[in-house]
Amino acid sequence: MNRSFARRSVTLALALVLSAPFIATNVQAQTPKKGGTLVYASVSGPGTLDPYLASSAVELEVINNLFEGLVTLDAHNATRTMLASKTTISPDFKTYSFELRKGVKFHNGQEMTSVDVKASFERYKRVSPNAKNLDAVDHFDAPDPYSFVIALKESNVVLLDIIKSPIYPLMILPASQKDKPARDIDVIGTGPYKLGEWVKDSHLVITRFDDYVADTSVAGRDGYGGRKTVYLDSVRYRFVPEATTRIAALQNGEAQLISSVPSELTAKITAQKDLAIREYFPQLGSYVIVNSQKGLTANVLIRQAIAAAINVDDIIEGAGGLNKRNPWMSFPDTPYYIGDTAPTPWYDVKDPAKAKELLRQAGYKNEKIVIETNSNYQWMRDTLLIVAEQLKAAGFNIDFKVTDWTTNAAHMQQGTGDWNLSTTAFGPDHVLGPQQWRPVLYTFPHIVGNDALDKAYAEFFAGATLEARRASWLAIQQQVLGNAYLIKIADTGRLSGYSQKLKGQNDYVGILQLWDLWLD
Amino acid sequence: MRKEAGLTRIVAFKLLQAVPVILIISVLAFLLLSLLPGDPATIIAGEQASPAAIEQVRKQLGLDRSFIEQLTIWIFNLARGNFGSSLILNQTVLSAVGERLPVTLSLALLSISFTIPVGVFLGSLAAYFRRSWIDTVVMTVALLGVSLPAFWIAILGVILFSVQLGWVPSSGYAPLSQGFGPWFASIALPALILSLFQIGFLARMTRSAMLDVLGQDYIRTARAKGLGEWHTVGKHALRNALILIITATGILLSAAIGGSVIIEQVFALPGIGRMVVQAIMARDYPLVQGTMLILGFTFVMINLIVDILYTLADPRVRHD
Repeated sequence: MNRSFARRSVTLALALVLSAPFIATNVQAQTPKKGGTLVYASVSGPGTLDPYLASSAVELEVINNLFEGLVTLDAHNATRTMLASKTTISPDFKTYSFELRKGVKFHNGQEMTSVDVKASFERYKRVSPNAKNLDAVDHFDAPDPYSFVIALKESNVVLLDIIKSPIYPLMILPASQKDKPARDIDVIGTGPYKLGEWVKDSHLVITRFDDYVADTSVAGRDGYGGRKTVYLDSVRYRFVPEATTRIAALQNGEAQLISSVPSELTAKITAQKDLAIREYFPQLGSYVIVNSQKGLTANVLIRQAIAAAINVDDIIEGAGGLNKRNPWMSFPDTPYYIGDTAPTPWYDVKDPAKAKELLRQAGYKNEKIVIETNSNYQWMRDTLLIVAEQLKAAGFNIDFKVTDWTTNAAHMQQGTGDWNLSTTAFGPDHVLGPQQWRPVLYTFPHIVGNDALDKAYAEFFAGATLEARRASWLAIQQQVLGNAYLIKIADTGRLSGYSQKLKGQNDYVGILQLWDLWLD
Repeated sequence: MRKEAGLTRIVAFKLLQAVPVILIISVLAFLLLSLLPGDPATIIAGEQASPAAIEQVRKQLGLDRSFIEQLTIWIFNLARGNFGSSLILNQTVLSAVGERLPVTLSLALLSISFTIPVGVFLGSLAAYFRRSWIDTVVMTVALLGVSLPAFWIAILGVILFSVQLGWVPSSGYAPLSQGFGPWFASIALPALILSLFQIGFLARMTRSAMLDVLGQDYIRTARAKGLGEWHTVGKHALRNALILIITATGILLSAAIGGSVIIEQVFALPGIGRMVVQAIMARDYPLVQGTMLILGFTFVMINLIVDILYTLADPRVRHD
């Protein structure tokens, strides 16, 4: 999935968001300089710039600079306004009202009003794969040019979290785009950059939008929002799939910023004084996916035996990359992170004797457990090779299959194919929380008929306070991880390389933000 | 007149032969892709998509239709000159291929233009000095050329010529519209790397062909009547070895187009090879099928040109 297949494949790994500070603060004390073109070498180019269909990092890191939504994530991943100036929620959580900022211009010069917002929401409901999250909407209303109202059929306490999601982002487009088919919009947003040239598979250029109307409600940038200032004349994205070539572009000055540096190649960058490495951590959480509808792994005792055999430290060491232990499905310093307040008996059990005992209780008769992985992502293959050895040591009979990512991903998402275990990593869910996790949880391990989980989710959506929702989230994780539908491995990050000439990078680790950057 | 009529007949006959070949290629491409597991809707909808969302995308893309229905629609459209639209690029197959073909053709033709003089010269040299140290050196270099992985050589090439020496950019493509200099700088190193394998192959083929010819009676006769070595080898021997060399060059050009995938990947060239790999990974059926069809046609054209060159190089072919 990394248009992603790379895209994606690339990748389909959904690079996203985070809250934790990275190793060094790069906010520069120097005076910003206007002008210049930043060249950013990334793995691959976007397939579409239609935000409502964008889920891969390569798409979002362009879209994020061209478009804006009503609300977004602030530097602490809480909700903050962007194109809205104020949000009001009715006490019954059935009416969400937004006051819009006045004078905001689209790239075509037209002013953004509630007509555009209403048309955007209606198009989103029609074309986005994420539209199901708006099922509770009864109707949208635009009572005056600067007011927009969402009326719900039933209470939804987390609607703003859905609207602020950086995946399939609900960006505001001109009303003229309302009837455009999926993936076929004119690329017109309100963001600080506008689209210049786009040569597929080669490069894409975005240029400063001089009529950009910044949000002046705060002094500076704040997560994806706040007061954005563009110093660069333009940014040129170059699509360079090979890591060594990306690094070469940085080394010889052709690029000032590159994405996805393999950890084994960082020395090539740090050896040069004018270059540096930046850690984006955490970005994703890696999991072993257990197919709960397939043969042996439909049995909870077998699944728990698998979890009991897993040694996380061995996997972290063997699979390489940037990984840190975390038993939970939320990142530290995010609203739903449970931390040390509850035990995590399912995590890093590394007890083959316990695994054997669970297998005995399950009546295991040396039947084959099928592990499926792919040839596209080395970390996935390496992770599962280590898992396979750990399971063999605990008495499992393992059949190891390697296919391509497209097949592997389809099998996981659709429950097709002949597999019991696989692996992948998830991104925004760890920041946005339980409502974002819900479709993933029911899809990948194919959970069916778990009443306790269904009940915990119902309680979550009815929870009026964050504390109540956190309690539900604990119950959800106890069901998912305790019953080993998913087996958490670690939080993971990625590395980028940059020239010291590039100034103004800040501590917020999210999708590429090109405002407030300048070239020295 | 007779010569022109003969050529026209050959061209017409070869073009007619190409029609079923291209049709078979396209249907095979369709069949083989449909046998692959995986689903473009899954890729396009993204990892966070629910089964319902994937189904929605599948419907948008027309993938919910039966295989026979999809094949019929595709062939029907093809008959009207409509190659379909890519699922991932959001553009027609023709425009997607049209944008990328100049890149791949630039790469292939430039590499061939390096390959032919160097390969033929080295092969002739090795044949002329057979069993000498020159022969050994040339054949060793040729063996290295065909044996070393293109991926590895390409990376070394980037490090040496781009990072260390700074002679050429590390990656990217500058179209000819930006001027010959930028175009040549962007494509020279990839073409050179691509030609290494080809030079090795052509040198070995040329040596073999020349060895056959140099042992012929007419070469001995030419030498006996006092013709200079340059004239004997350059005109009489090489011209008679040309048939084999032309055949090898045709194969190499086809191989260069098909085999540019790795080079395009390493040097980030937006060519056909890179696009096809992405299309296969994403199960972009229309794009793969359309590209296969267009590439199939290109290969047929290359064969046609080779056949025409035969007639120019060897009068016996014209008279057959």
